[in-house]
Amino acid sequence: MSTLDTIIIDGLAFALPMFIMAIGGIFSEKSGITNLALEGLQGFGAFCGGLTAVLMLRSFEGSSQIPYYVSFIAAIAGGMIYSLIHVALCIKFRANQVISGVVVNILAVALTVFLAKRINDGVFGQPSNKFVLETSVRFSVPGLSRIPVIGAIFKNVYPFEVMIIVIAALMWFVMYRTPFGMHLRACGDNPHAADAAGINVNRVRTIAVMISGGLSAIAGMSYAYSITSNFSPDIFLGYGYLSIAALIFGNWSVLPTLGACLIFGFARSSGQALITQLGMPSSYNDLVRILPYLLTLLLLIFFSKHNNSPRALGEIYDKGKR
Amino acid sequence: MSDSGYIIEMKHITKRFPGLIANDDVSLGIRKGEIFALLGENGAGKSTLMSVLFGMYEPDEGEIFLRGEKVRIASPRKATEMGIGMVHQHFRLVSNYTITENIILGSEPLKRVLGFIPCVNMKKAEADIAALSEKYGLKVDPKAVISDLNVSTQQRVEILKMLYRDAEILIFDEPTAVLTPQEIEFLLDIIRGLRDSGKTVIIITHKLEEIKSVADRCAVLNRGKLIDVLDVATTSTAEMARLMVGREVSFTSDKTEAQPKETVLKVEGLTVEGEAGNEAVKDVSFEIHAGEIFALAGVSGNGQNELADAIAGLKTAVRGRIYLNGTDITDLSIRKRTEAGVAYIPEDRHNVGLVLPFTLSENLALKRYYKDGFSKKTIIDRKAFEENGTRMIEEFDIRSSRGNKTVTAAMSGGNQQKAIIAREIALKTPLIIFMQPTRGLDIGAISNIHKQMIAERDRGAAVLLISLELDEIMDCADTIGVIFDGRINRIAKASELSVNEVGRFMMGVEDKQGGGTNKVRTGGTAS
Ligand SMILES: Nc1ncnc2c1ncn2[C@@H]1O[C@H](COP(=O)(O)OP(=O)(O)O)[C@@H](O)[C@H]1O
Ligand SMILES: [Mg+2]
Repeated sequence: MSTLDTIIIDGLAFALPMFIMAIGGIFSEKSGITNLALEGLQGFGAFCGGLTAVLMLRSFEGSSQIPYYVSFIAAIAGGMIYSLIHVALCIKFRANQVISGVVVNILAVALTVFLAKRINDGVFGQPSNKFVLETSVRFSVPGLSRIPVIGAIFKNVYPFEVMIIVIAALMWFVMYRTPFGMHLRACGDNPHAADAAGINVNRVRTIAVMISGGLSAIAGMSYAYSITSNFSPDIFLGYGYLSIAALIFGNWSVLPTLGACLIFGFARSSGQALITQLGMPSSYNDLVRILPYLLTLLLLIFFSKHNNSPRALGEIYDKGKR
Repeated sequence: MSDSGYIIEMKHITKRFPGLIANDDVSLGIRKGEIFALLGENGAGKSTLMSVLFGMYEPDEGEIFLRGEKVRIASPRKATEMGIGMVHQHFRLVSNYTITENIILGSEPLKRVLGFIPCVNMKKAEADIAALSEKYGLKVDPKAVISDLNVSTQQRVEILKMLYRDAEILIFDEPTAVLTPQEIEFLLDIIRGLRDSGKTVIIITHKLEEIKSVADRCAVLNRGKLIDVLDVATTSTAEMARLMVGREVSFTSDKTEAQPKETVLKVEGLTVEGEAGNEAVKDVSFEIHAGEIFALAGVSGNGQNELADAIAGLKTAVRGRIYLNGTDITDLSIRKRTEAGVAYIPEDRHNVGLVLPFTLSENLALKRYYKDGFSKKTIIDRKAFEENGTRMIEEFDIRSSRGNKTVTAAMSGGNQQKAIIAREIALKTPLIIFMQPTRGLDIGAISNIHKQMIAERDRGAAVLLISLELDEIMDCADTIGVIFDGRINRIAKASELSVNEVGRFMMGVEDKQGGGTNKVRTGGTAS
């Protein structure tokens, strides 16, 4: 496999989960709720999915794919339920949304590590804070994967990448074509207008944040099956924050956000490829991991001027205020 | 329809807010197919009464009958279902949506994709909106985005929103406050058209001419109480004004001859940039003397804002000098200018005039809070704030629900303006700039502000009045300047200019004595 192939394959495997997480962020923020909690949501989702997977692996054949898919469903459910903390703090108790997001993140790290230890101890009888998963199977599309260069897109594909693309297309449709999406975007621009049109602003926002919980969990689970191949505190590496950066560069719209995610993904994979090529010690890998963040800093300088965030983003909605 | 012939009856409606009664036992009936006006000063309770009818507030006491049946209107959604629509003072539009999207929001026409996925049928919606706007003569482009539209078009969108939901009873809350005279004419025509097509219209306003020209009947509110319901055709505007204010109001300000003394403000060759980086004010020069009201007339958007901001220090001059009592203040900061003697009543009350989330007493101290008497050794003296507030509230009759402690955002527009004027006048500066001081206010408040302005002049202040209302200019000015396209093209004693002449200069007619026809220049139209 050529270096270029590796760059494309690894880049996509990193970028796509980030993309689905960013779409979750877009849903939440377009409805008017600032969501820094993506990091915590993906981690908590991965925890729930990871736990489900290790529990199920004991009773299924090694080659069965059922635990794989069930674990994603469990992750989504876990992420959505966990996002209710953000919902409660921001919507019910009208807390500051930035602080709420940070709280959700910190709590996620503490809670999942604690629970993972207790469960490993109690259920499996081994003291560890990890749920070891097998790396996901991969497949190549016959024919297409032989095309030079772009064929790499169809080579060594994780099943979750396909799932993410399908879900992303579906979410785009929901956002821009359905009444619900229209209500959601209205709530983020002028909740008073939405309210006057008979829309229940708090309900729409609750659903939006839960969607961000579910989509982030897909991302977390994907990382657990690929980059880390386990659930462990390593899942909290800041990819959630990176996806927030991506959606900001993407101006809160879906396709430009995909572009930003791909840039981050390829920056990371080409850095890694470079190190392999130069035969540098693997400790330099850690250095490469900062590439996307460095890129974030640079992009911030250029893009922060002309971003147009949803007008009512982060504002606490108060019916009486005019 | 009930035997009473009323489509709506409000009986003994009382609505209290903490510390005040906004509606006090109000009973009225509105007939189907009439234009019913609601008249009253700022804070009289008009918006509150209509908000009750639209389901935004529940009345504390009283009942509402709709088409003869007793109803409980628990939410705007219920009101909409009952065929009641309302255009609020502040529009409720989603700024990044198209006109169509705004109108259909909440009741979208659907189509099924692949036979089962519901999605918004935008094509049908756009066609519906186009047809609707055609039917009522409210021309709009269904695909235009709200943030690109001017106020008058946005208002049309609000009207279409009601019509799209088949509202039969249409409530307009001060619809003309934000419009130009031509737009007002157009709106009143639309309203007449709506009545003729069978709708019932309720219009809140404090402009008497509008009521005269459009309404069939008119209810007068004063401090929450219903004073009377009048037949418009048989009642004079003077009578309406008297009932509304609760006392006689003089329409003409009785002011004495000006006694101008030394020059206070001298502007020399001033050039100021506008928002777009264009030259909004071009090489303007004039003087104002102590004891003189200099009124600057002009159509909106001809450089007035920039000129006032430059003198007050909110904008820097590109070229030219500004002198106050002989000293050059061109490069001074805003605070230094205030201390040198410039008071400024800005056009934008909410963003420039007040800090809305602050209390009344804080806002009243805004220009002096750091001084001795308001703070001791840089620590704010709350008590001094309160004393100052109490004194000013008394002296200037500023009405609010909680006095000193009222958050200014919760005050009515008229009282917000009173607070700003009180604060600025109290500085006792040699120069006071009044920018559109009476915009959106009722005649009682207007005549008070004019009196205060004249009193300041008589005290010996130089007054710069900038107004879009020609009547106001003619009533108050000692000297009139007319600004067009950033230049002052005429300055003369008020007694030497007729309304028509001023109007012509406002349109940019060249000042050519004799020879040739008058030429109208383009540019600088109302924005
Ligand atoms: N939500 C509110 N909370 C407290 N006071 C209010 C509120 N809305 C209006 N008021 C007060 O009730 C009075 C009547 O207000 P409003 O109905 O808006 O008057 P109008 O429309 O006639 O100018 C005013 O004194 C105003 O300050
Ligand atoms: Mg009002």
